[in-house]
Amino acid sequence: MIKSKKMMMKLGMVSVLTLSTVMAGCSSDSGSGATEDGKTTVTFWHSLTDSTGDAAEAVIKAFEEQNPDIKINSVYTANQGEGQNEKLLTAVSGGNPPDVAYFDRFEIGSWAAQGSLEDLSALAEESGINEETYYPFAWEEASYDGNLYGLPISTDSRLVYFNVDHFEEVGLDPENPPRTIAELEDAADKLTIKDGNRFERIGFIPWFGQGWLYGWGWSFGGEFFDPETNMVTANDPKIVEALQWMTDFGQKYNVEDIAGFTDSQGDGAMDPFLTSQLSMKVSGPWEVSAINKFKPDLNYGVFPIPTPTGEDHTTWSGGWSVVIPKGAKNKDAAWEFMKFFGGEEGQKIFSEIARDFSVIDSVNEELGYKDDPILGEFVEILPVSNNRPVMTQGSLYWNELASAVENATRGIVTPQEALDNVTEKVNKELK
Amino acid sequence: MSENAQKIEPANNSEPPYERQLKLVPAKKKSFWSKNKHGILFASPWILGLLIFYAIPLFSSIYFSFTTYSILQPGEFVGLQNYKDLFTDSLFWKSVYNTVYFAVFFVPLSIIFGVALAMMLNMNVKGMGIYRTIFFLPTLVPHVALAVLWMWLLNPGFGLVNGLLSTIGIDGPAWLGSVTWSKPSLIMMSLWGIGQAVIIYLAGLGDIPEDYYDAAKVDGANWYQKMRHITLPLLTPVIFFNLVMGIIAAFQQFTLPYTLTQGQGTPANSLSFYVMYLYDNGFKFFKMGYASAMAWILFVIIMALTALVFITSKRWVHYQGK
Repeated sequence: MIKSKKMMMKLGMVSVLTLSTVMAGCSSDSGSGATEDGKTTVTFWHSLTDSTGDAAEAVIKAFEEQNPDIKINSVYTANQGEGQNEKLLTAVSGGNPPDVAYFDRFEIGSWAAQGSLEDLSALAEESGINEETYYPFAWEEASYDGNLYGLPISTDSRLVYFNVDHFEEVGLDPENPPRTIAELEDAADKLTIKDGNRFERIGFIPWFGQGWLYGWGWSFGGEFFDPETNMVTANDPKIVEALQWMTDFGQKYNVEDIAGFTDSQGDGAMDPFLTSQLSMKVSGPWEVSAINKFKPDLNYGVFPIPTPTGEDHTTWSGGWSVVIPKGAKNKDAAWEFMKFFGGEEGQKIFSEIARDFSVIDSVNEELGYKDDPILGEFVEILPVSNNRPVMTQGSLYWNELASAVENATRGIVTPQEALDNVTEKVNKELK
Repeated sequence: MSENAQKIEPANNSEPPYERQLKLVPAKKKSFWSKNKHGILFASPWILGLLIFYAIPLFSSIYFSFTTYSILQPGEFVGLQNYKDLFTDSLFWKSVYNTVYFAVFFVPLSIIFGVALAMMLNMNVKGMGIYRTIFFLPTLVPHVALAVLWMWLLNPGFGLVNGLLSTIGIDGPAWLGSVTWSKPSLIMMSLWGIGQAVIIYLAGLGDIPEDYYDAAKVDGANWYQKMRHITLPLLTPVIFFNLVMGIIAAFQQFTLPYTLTQGQGTPANSLSFYVMYLYDNGFKFFKMGYASAMAWILFVIIMALTALVFITSKRWVHYQGK
């Protein structure tokens, strides 16, 4: 009896001890801020893999060589990016964030408004970093309310890729690709081969790939956001016109048949543009790497997204940045790393390996992107590129616009109604 | 046989010692804590886990549903504003519609298929263990893998399903790409994983005494009459359990559609489910207060449906021995 009681006590103690170690494990900090042998460790969360991962590693190596007293603890965090920042979100709210995070510039506005990013304005001024260094859209997207919250790292832009062989086959001039919307429609019509409700080949799908409403809306001359009133203007007549055009396009070829086609397609080597089932496609510069990898003999070219008038071609750019989340422990060391990563030297290393464009024009020139027949086109349009509005509800607006395109092209609501709804819903949140 | 077992009285060990019976020794009052401390200590990991990770978040979400809490900021108290906004939110209603649609078709179908499958797997055939394993296997496939697998099976151009349909001259739809077919596709996928329910039905079938069937056989009943008047009525307690659990699971549908559509609910929001929209609000749009309000509305809906099932159960659930 006494023996078993003692046994019980022991077991009870063991269970309490086990529990307390588990609890302690929860609260121990994940290695950031610790100084071992005089070194400051900076924790860096990123979602970089493949060539971009190698590029980040090279940047870190070069930085550590120059700064022997700082050690970068690079941590891969899956799914860190647009609308997928749950892990960072909980780390910030739990008061235990990394010192630096690789962050989609698009979300800087809403995160800064939530007070979850460190204001970098003073640090940038001290270090002599200003907007002259970067492309205007990149700087704008990294700022909120006049203050800087991130240093831009990479960027992209969107153009229409076209299959030169298909153009020649149907008698279109690959030297003079479509410039106006009417010419684009005409080319798509000639290129499409439809059998019953199946497409053997489809000329163009406006919303496929990177054919987001942002691109078409700006190309039609619309504006998505009014910074003066801090209101979205999704029902701008020009944007309605753009969506109407997309809807008409979908109706002409039967939108469910197009969905049947697009849903059959895969990614990578199975992309319909690479398998020559799609003749034209809106996409970004990364498509070049995919083509080189999976279909190096593809005969293709690019042209700017057509506009109704055939002039004032534009596009939009996203890209990444590095930020210091609120509550980071080693701000100074973190800033040293960011300054290197976002500066010319780091940019050169990163952009060369990752094949992502730099946000510094001179770096793109030096790396020869401007001389490349395809990539040069993407760089050339960067100075007139747009960035998605910097606002507190960027993700909501993005999702709503994507749904509006779906609902309108599927004929559930008219383009006007769809965009009126988006404007109303998002503005309600912005108030 | 079982009658006899019930008649055996439990051995009475609780008789107090004779000193106590004579009231020579006063009863020692033990406090609740000293009587139960070991039990509580043993259960403490579980109790603490329940309190910290379930009870506290659960009850604080009631408060949060009245605020503009965004995880990063505590927000302001706004009273019933979140609830009012929900009632005018068209995407909220769309997600309610999709979820109810799914539940209305999936739950009855899962019962019909589950019971039918269990009856077939209850037959006396050689190698039944293998058949049972085969039907249980899909349950072990993770939802994400299941989504990828079915995306290929239902691929409109090269999928196996449309391939089979075309051999009998049917031009299959775009399945997950079609507004009309996306939800039926999802129901079909979910039905593939009913192995868990089948196991429970099988246990229920095993509980039905052979005597009834023997008696029915003597009376000349055919297989349909046996199923209709013996098997189904005696299986109702298990069906009842699966119905309640099925409703709860159907209203919480998340992983499969979220993976299938990369969280977008495409095409045209036809796969936007209640919990998906809740998640987006909480973790993407910085509206955790709004999401908490949604969670409590869902709680009320599930609670009401469960209560309804419980109330009606008196009429159709038959327990053995009653």
